[in-house]
Amino acid sequence: MKKLEFIYEDGHHKWAVVARDLEKPGFLIDTNEYLVVNGSEALLADPGGMEIFSAVFSAISAEVDPCTIRHLFASHQDPDVISSLALWLDFNPDLKCYLSWLWGSFIPHFGGTAETFVSIPDEGMDISLGGLTLEAVPAHYLHSSGNFNLYDRKAKILFSGDVGAALLPSGEDGLFVENFDRHIRHAQGFHRRWMGSNAAKLNWCERVSRLDIDMLCPQHGAIYRGEDVKRFIDWFAALDVGSAIKE
Amino acid sequence: MDSTASQTGDLRRVVQANEVIKKVIRISSGVNLVALNAMLIAKRSGERSRGFAVVSSELRVFSRKLEGAMTGLGALIFELVRDAAAMRKQLHERHHLFNIPAREQQMREIMEPVLARMDERMHKTRGQIGRDWHKLRLQLNRVLQLCETGGSLARSAKIEAVYGGDMSATLKQVANQIEETVNEIFSTLKLLRTQLAE
Repeated sequence: MKKLEFIYEDGHHKWAVVARDLEKPGFLIDTNEYLVVNGSEALLADPGGMEIFSAVFSAISAEVDPCTIRHLFASHQDPDVISSLALWLDFNPDLKCYLSWLWGSFIPHFGGTAETFVSIPDEGMDISLGGLTLEAVPAHYLHSSGNFNLYDRKAKILFSGDVGAALLPSGEDGLFVENFDRHIRHAQGFHRRWMGSNAAKLNWCERVSRLDIDMLCPQHGAIYRGEDVKRFIDWFAALDVGSAIKE
Repeated sequence: MDSTASQTGDLRRVVQANEVIKKVIRISSGVNLVALNAMLIAKRSGERSRGFAVVSSELRVFSRKLEGAMTGLGALIFELVRDAAAMRKQLHERHHLFNIPAREQQMREIMEPVLARMDERMHKTRGQIGRDWHKLRLQLNRVLQLCETGGSLARSAKIEAVYGGDMSATLKQVANQIEETVNEIFSTLKLLRTQLAE
C-alpha cells in the first residue's frame, strides 16, 4: 500500500512523497510521487502510471485534499511518469501540466487538451505555486532527450526524476539512503544503462553542484540527504554512462 | 440508476466525504488529552470532586473508544477513496473501448466479449464500492451513538463540577471543552450522514 509521508514542513510550505508500494505486482517498476504544497495550492511531480492511480490518489487523499492539486509536473514522457494524466484530468479538468516542449504532442496521447499543457523551454523556467517559485532545471538526455528536474530553492529540495534512481531489492524499503556505499550499488546499473550522454551528465553535475540542496529526490528508490547529495553528484560525475550494453 | 450506482462514479463526492471525516478525526484527537486532563484535575481536587473523578474516568474510557472508532472510520474512507479511484480508471478504459466504431458485424463480434469482460470487472468494483459505502454508514452511526454517550458524560461532568469547591471553575471549564468537542464531531458527522443519504 502506498503511503504519503511529509519530508519537509515549514508552515504551509510542505513536500511529501508517496513512496514505495510493497504490495504492487513485481512486474511494475516502483515509483515515488512528490507533492509540493504551498498554502491552498499543490503541485504533483511525476504523478505516476495509470495502473497505480488509485494507490497514489488514495494515499494523497489520506493527508491532503486532492482538490488542492492545481499543477502536474512531468519530468519526461515515460508511462511510469505521466500515463495517469487522463485520470487526474477526469478528477480536475482545469489541471495544468508542465512538461518539456519536446513532448508537447506526445504526452497528449495519455490525455488532455491544448489548454492542459504548459511547455517548458529547453533552458527551463520558473513555476509559481501560490507565490512560491519552483524552478524547472534542465536535465536533458538524463535519460530522456527532453528532461527536467524541479528545484525548490526555499526548501533546498531537488526532485531529480530518474537521476539518482535505484532499483532496490525487497527488504531495502527505507525512505532515505542510510548507507551510501551499499545503496549506490543498486543505482550503478541503472545509471550506466539509462543515462546516455557523458557530456550531458557532466553539464548537469556542474550546474547542480552549485545549487544548495538538502535533499535529492529521485523517482525510483531512496532519497539522498545532507552529505550524500554531494557524494551522489561526485559518484555520478565519475561514472561512465551509456556503457551498459553487454558485449 | 440507484443511489449506490450514482455514487460509484463520483470520485469528488467520495473526496468531499473524506475531507469531512479527516476534519472530524483531527478534532477527536484532542478529546483524549482533555479527558486525561479532567482525570488529573479531579485527582488534585481530592474528596471534593469524587463525583467528577468518576465521570472523568468514564470520559477517559469514552475517549479511547472514540479513538478506535475514528481509526475505523479513517480506514473505511481510505478504502472507499481507493476503490472509487479504481472505478474511475475502469470507466475511462471502457469509454475508450466503447468509442471504437463497430459498424460491421465482424467488429461487433470482436468488441462484444471485450466489453462484456470489462463490464464484469466494473460490476465487481461497483459492488465493492457499494459495500464500502454500507460499512462507512454503519460506522458513522456507531460514532454518532458514541458521541451521544460522550455528550451525556460531558453534561454529567458539568453537574459534578458544581460540587468541586474552589476547583469548580476549572472542572467546569474542562467539562465544557469536552462537550464542545463532542458536539462539533456530532453535528459534523450528522450533517455528513444527511448529505450521504441525499
